[in-house]
Amino acid sequence: MVRTVYSPEYCLQYLEQYASKEIFVIGLILGQSTAARENVIHLARTPDEKSSESASETSYVLDKIETKTLLNVSEAWVADHAKHVTRMLPGGMFVQGIFITSDEDIFEEPNSFSKVKSIVNHIYKAMNANQYMFGNCPYSNERLMLHMSTSTKVLTCKSIEVGAPAKSTVIKPVEWKFLPKPQQWQRLDCYYEFDDVYPVIVKKSGISVKQQFQQILESAHKTIESSIMFIDGELKDNSEVLESLFKKKKPKTNSKSVQQELPKSMNVSLFVPFENSLPETVEYLECDGSIHFSGVVSSSVFMYPKATVSETIAAVKQDIIRSLASRFTMHCDALIDDNLLPEEKVCFNEPPRRVLVPVGALYLCDYLFPGEAPAEALLSVRELLDLKITEADVICDVETPADTSEFDALDRDASSEELLATPQEASQFMYITGICFAMFVLIVSIIIHYYDGIVKVVSKVLSK
Amino acid sequence: MSPRLKISNYVIERLSNIDTNESTGCLYGLMYDGTLLVVGLSLELFENEKNTYRQFLLNLPAEIELCGVVRFGETLTTGTTMKEILQDVDITDNPLVMIVNEKKEMKTHFLVHDKFEETKYEVLSSDEMWKQFLHVRLNTILPLSCEATISGVKNILQNKRKKIASGQVSFHIDGTSVYLFGVASDVGLTGTSTEATIGELVDSMSPEQPKKKKHNTSSIEIVPINLVLKTTKDILSDKLVKTAVKMMTTQRKPAFCISMPLRIDTLAMIHRNTKLLDLYTVLVEAACRSLRLLESVLLEQLGQEGIGDGAGLRLPETFHFLPQEIGHFITRVVPKAIPDESMEKERRLLHEQLGLGLTRPVFRRGNAYADKSGGRLVNPHEAIPQQPTKPDVTVALVRGRYTYHHYMQDNFNDDGWGCAYRSMQTIFSWFRYQGYTTVDIPSHRDIQQCLVNIGDKQSSFLGSKQWIGSTEVMFCLETLLGVQSRIIFANTGAELQSYAHDLVHHFQTHGSPIMIGGGVLAHTILGVEFNSATNDIRYLILDPHYTGQEDLSIVINKGWCGWKNSDFWNKTAHYNLCLPQTKPAI
Repeated sequence: MVRTVYSPEYCLQYLEQYASKEIFVIGLILGQSTAARENVIHLARTPDEKSSESASETSYVLDKIETKTLLNVSEAWVADHAKHVTRMLPGGMFVQGIFITSDEDIFEEPNSFSKVKSIVNHIYKAMNANQYMFGNCPYSNERLMLHMSTSTKVLTCKSIEVGAPAKSTVIKPVEWKFLPKPQQWQRLDCYYEFDDVYPVIVKKSGISVKQQFQQILESAHKTIESSIMFIDGELKDNSEVLESLFKKKKPKTNSKSVQQELPKSMNVSLFVPFENSLPETVEYLECDGSIHFSGVVSSSVFMYPKATVSETIAAVKQDIIRSLASRFTMHCDALIDDNLLPEEKVCFNEPPRRVLVPVGALYLCDYLFPGEAPAEALLSVRELLDLKITEADVICDVETPADTSEFDALDRDASSEELLATPQEASQFMYITGICFAMFVLIVSIIIHYYDGIVKVVSKVLSK
Repeated sequence: MSPRLKISNYVIERLSNIDTNESTGCLYGLMYDGTLLVVGLSLELFENEKNTYRQFLLNLPAEIELCGVVRFGETLTTGTTMKEILQDVDITDNPLVMIVNEKKEMKTHFLVHDKFEETKYEVLSSDEMWKQFLHVRLNTILPLSCEATISGVKNILQNKRKKIASGQVSFHIDGTSVYLFGVASDVGLTGTSTEATIGELVDSMSPEQPKKKKHNTSSIEIVPINLVLKTTKDILSDKLVKTAVKMMTTQRKPAFCISMPLRIDTLAMIHRNTKLLDLYTVLVEAACRSLRLLESVLLEQLGQEGIGDGAGLRLPETFHFLPQEIGHFITRVVPKAIPDESMEKERRLLHEQLGLGLTRPVFRRGNAYADKSGGRLVNPHEAIPQQPTKPDVTVALVRGRYTYHHYMQDNFNDDGWGCAYRSMQTIFSWFRYQGYTTVDIPSHRDIQQCLVNIGDKQSSFLGSKQWIGSTEVMFCLETLLGVQSRIIFANTGAELQSYAHDLVHHFQTHGSPIMIGGGVLAHTILGVEFNSATNDIRYLILDPHYTGQEDLSIVINKGWCGWKNSDFWNKTAHYNLCLPQTKPAI
């Protein structure tokens, strides 16, 4: 059976818009593949490489950039785009491949085709660099290559296996179908909460924020993977189809109102069993402080309603980890001082928070650093997803930035703790102040007592 | 209205046998269905702050609470300590006061509006108690990481208790899809109906159970439960704080921290009719009791000299004990790898509090209640239907637990030569279960090696299929366990008859299994029945020559474990008996 991919109709217009201008465009195919069906959610054109950057990197290139062609596309640039877009995808959604509009037939022309292969493989490799980003779809190694010819406007789609030895690459035809009606999605929401205290173990080499985040990520991944997931408060059979969970409940609510086919959202809750991964002994370590990692990761995933419960569980778990990894990466990229224990007694690392941005019938996400306005999200949506949305479209309240008053309270806690921790110091201070005061009183009284004498002596000295 | 009163048979027995100088004791019980059931007691030996009945309660399964006071004497007088204790009774508005006089006559009173009202009580037999009640056992591991100071440990454990009591945890009944939720979730449980009781659930888990129960009524049911922690917040909750993840680092002067897997292993005793919905709070209480016990062991260690900084801190390990005469579980937490011998002081106190004798171990690690026996049968003789007691007939049996060792076990073919080795292993298991030792049960080769080491046998004996006899068993017990044995030599099977008194005396004082060998096959004697009128003697035999599966009904029905008359012994062959002796110890 030929692999079939379903796409919203606006994607056709999107491709035609570029093809009719007869320009070369490369971009990413974003979508979700489940056992029941493979859906594309969006096509996102890869932004042009900025001239200033490319000039500095490859200074020998002529100042004027030539008209973009497939052959002079930088694989790293497209891969970078894929990495950035992946951060914006909820769990269960992946970069499924690339699309190209050009006048040459990319599948027939050998140079073009090897370039396409090289790009797809480059993306694959770049995505594998950070396993917690879940950049590569774990279920399939076959990436899509969609081509629209600018001359004939003919659309061709094939799949190519990535990560395989170059010579034995399998190319398969793919049927690309446009859906006249918008695809319905089942939304599932949860707030995953962190509240962990770790000791800071400083080895001789010191420890960076990046390393600490990596450790948190590893342990969160382990914990979340082992967790049990309930949908709307119930444990569901892994093989059940999402849609059927709702249909079972339907008779109760249906009579009252004629609503949408699907509930707006299902609530997900995760429970973590405590498993013994630690050795059966007491570890005794020297530490230099403690880390309190707290707060929530809001998670909204969108599933094809015929997806199974197990596919859904995997998507939710991916979403939380991917979101955490995205924040950490963005935070560390922006860090000036990577030292976990700087001069200050209390140090605060606040990674960017998640906001939701509408794309078609569902939401993707973006991250805002503390102090950044929602308008920043518009920028990345335009840059990375090639979409125009308004500031009002950005949903900013799924998470709130860390309260500064909370920070102050924590700071006060810490400082009062400090005082408590060193009572001797405090009393020493009192002691010294006391002595100083007594000395002062003594000196003053001496002065008063011998005032006349002192005045005489002073005047004598002065008169001389 | 004051509750109905039932007293467990164990409590009655203990009170009638108790010999103490103490004037007061505490009573512990649980409420079910408008009835107060007294299940345990302790003597008032709480000399210092650290040893209060509050601390003692932590050693009992959850749901069992302080319910009243027992006074040894003739009259109903109330001292100040007694008043204080009665004020701490939370389980009922009407604390119980029991009077036990010199003649061991017992009277019970409820304190109603500051007045004592004498009340009747019903005795609940042990069989009936184990039939109506079951235990749930919560097992989980909390990763613990904190500063290696007393305050550090105290704080973190208080946090853990708060977390468990916060309603964020869920309990999962092993092997089912039943999860119990706390207040942080909108439903109380999932996986079964909200009306279901724990008894119904247990019955549905194993449909064959009812049949088995008929066979062995005294079996104790323990339902395993584990814990999962809710890590997501409810979206609908109005208290939802949605602050994005952040990390705060607090620097301190170099300090020491400890991290360990803290194993919670705790019990609760509940009536079978308890609704699953009501089980949640019981389990929270059980978990908190366990955390307090674990905390006290950690703090005690941190307070000790030498390991004050936590470097030598040992992992606390939990053991549950079900002493035969006590009739309820007692949980102890001890530091890992500290030998039992060096913790005698604590055990002595516990013996005294419970009014137990100081002659044999009850609370050593080996005494701990174990459902696991490596697949072997534990005390098969208890499944033999009991004979009604007759006058003139004295029955003396092995005391305590042992495992049945016989041919072909451990994938080892010793058919035809290993019977004495197996009998020796049964004896060894008895010494382990009674807490006298923690040494592993020796294999055939271990036994042979031991005999070669002491020079009793040539090295060619190693790996051979040579038989051993009673004296070899005696040598091995002495070498491996330091246990002395008495050897009885009988020229003929008929002569055994004359040692009836010795055997009765052995089981009454030592209670260990006896190995019998000699000219013929070796067997294990688990008990004797002596009729002083007819001089008839019967022997309870455990036969190591059994080669079949670990099937209790075959072992009993085919007589591999059963009572044998004197003619069981060969009239002409000679016999050697090895009677392992015990020394007073706790």
